[in-house]
Amino acid sequence: MNGFHGRYWRFDLSRGEGEMVTIPETILRRYLGGVGLGTWLLHREAPANVDPLAPEAPLIFSFSPLVGTPLTTSAKLAVVAKSPLTGFISDGLSSSHFAIAGKRMGVDAIVLVGACAEPSELVLGALQPTRLWRKTPREADEALSKHGRVAAIGIAGENGVRFATISNDGRHAGRGGLGAVLGAKRLKALVVDGELPTPVADPKAVTRLARDLSKRSLGHATAKYRDLGTVANLAAFNRIAALPTRNFQRSRFDQGDALSAETLKPAREVARTSCASCTIGCEHVYGFGDEKRTRIEYESLFALGPLCGIGDPEAVLAAAGRCDALGLDTVSAGGTIAFAMECAERGYLPDAPHFGDAEGLLALLDDIAHRRGLGDLLAEGSRIAAERIGHDSIAFAPQVKGLEIPGYEPRALQTLALGFAVGARGADHNKSGAYEIDFSDRVDRLHGNARSAALSLETENRAALTDSLILCKFLRGVFDDLYAESAELVRAVTGWNVDGEELEALARRVVAARKAFNVREGWTPEDDSLPERFLSEALEDGPSSGARLTHERLQEMIRSYNLARGWSEQGYLPDAVMRDLSLEPSPADPTHAGPQVDP
Amino acid sequence: MHAGIVLCGGRSSRMGRAKAWLPWQGRPMVAHVVERLSEVVDEVVVVSSEQLDLPPLPARVVRDREPELGPLAGIREGLAHVKGELAYVTATDAPFLTPEFVKTMLSYGKAAAPEVDGIVQPLAAVYPRSALACASSLLESDRRRPLALLEAQDYRRVDAAELTGCEDAVRGFNTPEEYLAAVRTSGDDSPVVLELLGRAQLAAGRREIETPVGTLAEVLAAAPPELELVQEGRVARHHLVSIDGRSFLRDLRVPIGPGEHVIVLDASVGG
Repeated sequence: MNGFHGRYWRFDLSRGEGEMVTIPETILRRYLGGVGLGTWLLHREAPANVDPLAPEAPLIFSFSPLVGTPLTTSAKLAVVAKSPLTGFISDGLSSSHFAIAGKRMGVDAIVLVGACAEPSELVLGALQPTRLWRKTPREADEALSKHGRVAAIGIAGENGVRFATISNDGRHAGRGGLGAVLGAKRLKALVVDGELPTPVADPKAVTRLARDLSKRSLGHATAKYRDLGTVANLAAFNRIAALPTRNFQRSRFDQGDALSAETLKPAREVARTSCASCTIGCEHVYGFGDEKRTRIEYESLFALGPLCGIGDPEAVLAAAGRCDALGLDTVSAGGTIAFAMECAERGYLPDAPHFGDAEGLLALLDDIAHRRGLGDLLAEGSRIAAERIGHDSIAFAPQVKGLEIPGYEPRALQTLALGFAVGARGADHNKSGAYEIDFSDRVDRLHGNARSAALSLETENRAALTDSLILCKFLRGVFDDLYAESAELVRAVTGWNVDGEELEALARRVVAARKAFNVREGWTPEDDSLPERFLSEALEDGPSSGARLTHERLQEMIRSYNLARGWSEQGYLPDAVMRDLSLEPSPADPTHAGPQVDP
Repeated sequence: MHAGIVLCGGRSSRMGRAKAWLPWQGRPMVAHVVERLSEVVDEVVVVSSEQLDLPPLPARVVRDREPELGPLAGIREGLAHVKGELAYVTATDAPFLTPEFVKTMLSYGKAAAPEVDGIVQPLAAVYPRSALACASSLLESDRRRPLALLEAQDYRRVDAAELTGCEDAVRGFNTPEEYLAAVRTSGDDSPVVLELLGRAQLAAGRREIETPVGTLAEVLAAAPPELELVQEGRVARHHLVSIDGRSFLRDLRVPIGPGEHVIVLDASVGG
């Protein structure tokens, strides 16, 4: 088989034993890799209604057919599990050498099940006690990198913070609490390496396509990321009043200029770096404090800055660096703390810091990671915290399905608001790129309607494909026809005679499979919504002034979305869609292929 | 008691952007017209389409449920929401409308419409609230011309020569050229502000450039050429352009009015 090894490594941490499990080629062709394959494996490996933090809950590292090729941005993996934050699917992407090293073990995915008896590390298949517990992910990486490539958790993961990350190469599989799943298994780190390259069907074609894609990746379409990074979003969003501020109470931040890329770059940028196998180079590193430095993305900047009412770049950069060291998802950390700040403002949480309190923010990040005091409550995420605080605070807890909302004001970007509401992972700008539609002349961004639904759906399909190939979404502007051009890549790597139409069907299948997992785990139509704040309060600021969403408008968009997908009006999957998913019973089932060979 | 009805549910297709938002005398066109009407009527109802958001107005805004049926459906919607016995109906692009003209038209005490160069002007006319049922039945029988409603009301046809300000009252603009020509003779010389964000700002070394009113193409031409804001007759693919941060556009022919801000963003904003 070209592009794949046709098997995954299933390691039971309770028994300390691994086995190879065959993946049928038909499945690989229907799901590719990354999020697609990871979702299929999650269906297969996760017992129904499993507690995400129970030993039986699987944690899946899913590679892809393009990993290991010279195609730019292809060194990526998806980490897939049932989220302890949402109770639904969570699939975080990460770019790193871990993906290349992991695939060179001769597998298309690694599935961890069970739990260690004591804090441990899994190094090249050997499970051993770890001395790295309580260390930062970077310290764990430095200690273990002599053996191979490392994925590790921080203190937040060890303590079961429901929005803890898994870190590798300084990047994070960030959203949904994947680090807490690894922490519940008492596994500090996973180290991989191998010698098995993956053959490709047409090496000359792959080289030619890789050269062409690299060349295109250096053009206008990616220039923003190269020149300024995602941080460039801040000034743009602030200008159009779509920048979530003070826990979504405002959509403009009066200290925004100090945090903008246009200000940070000349004053603080000290380096620009790239992920593994990437020609774009979107990572911008900024200096702060006493010769400290950290990279920062827009999502971290907005969540730890405007969302918490903090405009001091020193404080925001320090907070972003602290989240990296603790292994915290910056969006959920910032969102949950901003929620607590509003609770303090309303008198519901007297001990919480107030908006603009930078020292309070930094202290609370540590308290969350260590589950100390108020931090113990906030480590549960804003939804559970709101349920415990009461006072109808759930109305302004900034989350969908439990996942904190990223840095896009839904009332100001109403096509994306739909994407947030129906997102399988929760509010998710990575799985719905509908902001592209809002930033266009195709819709009125302040007035979502049924047309928004069809356009939103298309961006979700494209994301499902790129997340399964896997390629970086920052390449999205270089493709004229994503499906046809991706098919050319897949043909060259796998030798399969696929075309754009087949990949578009695959993308729809991946979206449906993610939804099917949620339905299996108890999803109901009421889960596809937005917090009451977004459906009852109008925006007040700048060009978004007066923008409002209503229950009726959102429901109409959701209904249109479900019907456009071929699902029921409520969002359930018809039998024909379910049959197309080719789901299989778990390995406990007698028909399971069983172990083949140890690595 | 008299009412005013402003119709702004049209598609403004030749203009390329909603006429209601075109700046006139320092405010959006619809606000200007509402203000002029308010000087002589007791209430103003603005009939808009579901898709068009409007600026804050001292008027009641209602949605045209069937904008595809044309202006008669808008008139029906307006009549359904007025309290006054008579309503003066105007299109939203009536920058030269005077309160005196409206007052004269309402003084006839019945349906009335001016005739300019032999053409009756049903969108600068007075309709009685009691015409509501007739408007509905006309639409049901697929007769969509507002003139049919006037005719069914035994309306008074008024020769333009009898009316002061009549030709101005019916003078609107349907194209960017007509609008810009009107602006240039209006005495409002407020500049357009071209705002550069992101890479464009760093490359230009400044955030704002002031330039006279003009089409979007003319406004973008004020930026340093190395920014390449225009390519192949359209806004370049790697840029986004927004008017005042509300709507995004790519059509270089649309007019940009006095005081408006044209914001240039990277196309890959988001993500």
